[in-house]
Amino acid sequence: MGRGDDQLLLPVNPWFIWLSLLVALALNLIPLGRLGAMPDFLALVLVFWNLHQPRRVGVGAAFVFGLAMDVNAAALLGQHALAYSLLSYFAVSIHRRLSRFSPAAQAVQILPLWYAAQTVSVLVHMVAGHAFPGWQILLAPVFASLLWPLACALLLAPQRRAPDPDMNRPL
Amino acid sequence: MSQGTFDNTPPPFFRQGPSALSKLSFFAALAVFLMIADTRLQITQPLRTAFAIVLHPVQRVLLAPVQAWRSGSEYLVGLERALERATEREAAARRQLAAQSERALRVEQLEVENSRLRSLIDLRPGLSVRSQPAQILYEASDPYTRKLIIDRGSTQGVVLASPVINEDGVLGQVTRVYPLSSEVTLLTDKDAAILVLNARSQARSAAFGGLAGLELRFVVVNADVQVGDRLLTTGFDGVYPPGLPVATVALVDRKPDSGFARVALTPAVVPGSVRHVLVLEPIGVQMPPKPDSTPTESTAKGRRGARK
Repeated sequence: MGRGDDQLLLPVNPWFIWLSLLVALALNLIPLGRLGAMPDFLALVLVFWNLHQPRRVGVGAAFVFGLAMDVNAAALLGQHALAYSLLSYFAVSIHRRLSRFSPAAQAVQILPLWYAAQTVSVLVHMVAGHAFPGWQILLAPVFASLLWPLACALLLAPQRRAPDPDMNRPL
Repeated sequence: MSQGTFDNTPPPFFRQGPSALSKLSFFAALAVFLMIADTRLQITQPLRTAFAIVLHPVQRVLLAPVQAWRSGSEYLVGLERALERATEREAAARRQLAAQSERALRVEQLEVENSRLRSLIDLRPGLSVRSQPAQILYEASDPYTRKLIIDRGSTQGVVLASPVINEDGVLGQVTRVYPLSSEVTLLTDKDAAILVLNARSQARSAAFGGLAGLELRFVVVNADVQVGDRLLTTGFDGVYPPGLPVATVALVDRKPDSGFARVALTPAVVPGSVRHVLVLEPIGVQMPPKPDSTPTESTAKGRRGARK
């Protein structure tokens, strides 16, 4: 990161956390059809909050959102839930280590997380007897990592407001 | 440094709750249990219904911009081109209507003749099937299954295992019913199977879906199947009415490396272009109940009495 990011952040608003998770779920629900390389917005926002606020958003929240994704995608109930639980566990376990890196470096370190969650998902389906879904799904984690710095900037924006707003700095 | 963005407040000393690893093992076990329950035990339907009811309005709201985008892009492409395409489609529909009207006119006369012949040889009258139109909302985004979501659910009277057809032929069956929507599994899904009748040779066989599309399985190498044969529903499976087009034979490979011939089919309906479908009632609802196969009590008592 650069030299200028020593700003003290405002405390996080819990309503904002859950609102951002619901918006990410809504983005995932957009019925664009079967695009294998579409990044998983809900997983992205989940991992973000798992890293930044691990005590508020943990493995339980990931499980419930995974169930919602399962019902939407007409998949086996528990497939996404398992993948999201593992994802959030790994995110929570590395959250201290990741705090010292810039968002770009964090994106690179989170990439194995996405691939691990995706591998679990694909394994569950091969075990259930389905065929391999095609190589486009390997692109989805890359897109998610590319979106990571943008997600960081967007989701931290409310905390980067001025603590004492005045006419020169209203927000 | 980004250190300031992470939550660095000290954790509480005494009420830390279960660790992440124990939470993970609990939820992973619960997820595996739910997966097994979903496939084997069929007890997860209430949970699915609860989520579906909550998510349904969100899905309908999100569908609106997608549909608006599609119709808007058609508008932007040029009103003239859209008009051209619309008149083209209308002409094609009229041609199809004209081609079908001749058969439709004969159908009425054939129905009357059929019912008269049936009563003549004292057969039960033929089954008629109730239907309701539905619209396809979207295709389920799970890359492992081929399912569509339609906008009719249990509140509109859709029953589990109802067949779904359109004017080209059979689309699939309803596999999950929610109050306001239902999931239709297409014939090309890996779990789908349908009994078919070869229109030319009147032989019955079974078509299965899978990665390679639709195919006939367990066909002997010297079976009477040719490229171009039309396959229709049999009417014997208790689900589909008879005579609906299912697929056409596209390829017959008689090299006996697996003992059976490999017959690849092209489905009659191309799922990508379908918007409006018809949901039928399964014909098994109207058929008489199966005969009871256990011996009745009176004959058992009579046998005991005779022995004494």
